Amino acid sequence: MEGRPRDERELALRAQRGDSRAYEELVRPHQEIAFRVAYVIARNAADAEDATQDALVKAWRALGRFRADEPLRPWLLRIVANEARNRRRSAGRREHLALRTATAFSGEAAPSPEDTALDEERRARLLAALEQLPEPAREVLAYRFLLDLSEDETAAALDVPVGTVKSRSARALDRLRETYEPRE
Amino acid sequence: MNLESELRALHVDWPDTPRFRLEPARRRRRTRYALAFAILVAAVGVAFAVPESRGAILRFLHLRGASIEFVGTLPHADERPLTDGLGDVVSLTVARSVIPGLLLPPLDRRPALHFAPGEIISLVFEHRGAPVLLSELRGGGGSYLKKLASFGTNAEPVRVGGHDGIWITGARHVVTYPRRPARLAGDVLLWETRSATYRLEGPSLTKADAIDLAESLRKG
Repeated sequence: MEGRPRDERELALRAQRGDSRAYEELVRPHQEIAFRVAYVIARNAADAEDATQDALVKAWRALGRFRADEPLRPWLLRIVANEARNRRRSAGRREHLALRTATAFSGEAAPSPEDTALDEERRARLLAALEQLPEPAREVLAYRFLLDLSEDETAAALDVPVGTVKSRSARALDRLRETYEPRE
Repeated sequence: MNLESELRALHVDWPDTPRFRLEPARRRRRTRYALAFAILVAAVGVAFAVPESRGAILRFLHLRGASIEFVGTLPHADERPLTDGLGDVVSLTVARSVIPGLLLPPLDRRPALHFAPGEIISLVFEHRGAPVLLSELRGGGGSYLKKLASFGTNAEPVRVGGHDGIWITGARHVVTYPRRPARLAGDVLLWETRSATYRLEGPSLTKADAIDLAESLRKG
């Protein structure tokens, strides 16, 4: 898990006293991860945006119940994920997760066209296999490995105990292996 | 590479993170500006004399989210581009949360939406080859647009899609927004609905053109 910013507690206390600028400063670093957590659930950017926006306002209103000595991110992600889940439930939609792999490589040396094609193909297959998993398995893997959330953060976003995150992750990886067999 | 590592190395192309509005909209009432629009309509459309004392208010007209004060001498204000100081670009969701009756031009590509303190959403777009500034203010809320006009500026009551409005034309006037420096403005169409006050400004807009354009706006 990421180290907690030194002044997060101070910002949280100020925000709890009604300082909206402190709240902005407190929440701003977490907006991107919050939006992506919502996107995994909502499966489209517009619904994820709406869910995140509403969740950020709800979090502001619920800030009095936040314990300032604890890290903000799991608390915030729980609210965001709940909002996204509620919206999806009420909308009754079942959309495919529109995740795509980025085409750019982060490595220093440019890969050969053959390697690039092979890598693209492998990544696309892995993502397709992930998308075919049942929702609980897909979400836990997306949070743990695509978004690199900690177990605590994943537990908050899924609203389950940490132990469930561990066991669910292991089972989800097993299922993923069954459908995704990398070609050597 | 094991499966966990492969997942971590996927480089997912996430959608761009929108800009979120973190402070909930404050809703305040301005009871001191409770004058009826009918009074405004009766009072406009006339020439305004210059008072003897500098800055004296000759007439005070207003909508819920905007006022027009006719004064003897205009305060200092700079000439600035329409796009100046509009505020941060925000998402459509945020703009809608600020202005529930958000209006947008019927264009294939939506112009950038800007949010400024005082619950104002502004957008600049091209209309018949010239830029137009559309500003939308939450009606009856905390936002307040003030226009200071002097001799040579006329205000004429108009109807925009069934709503009351004012066409301000003639000599340039000074427009002030909350927490923004004043600037000189040209011909402007103002109108209001129950939920918002709207303002259209463009260097080449005629009255008919401005009303046509206002009535072509669609709820965003």
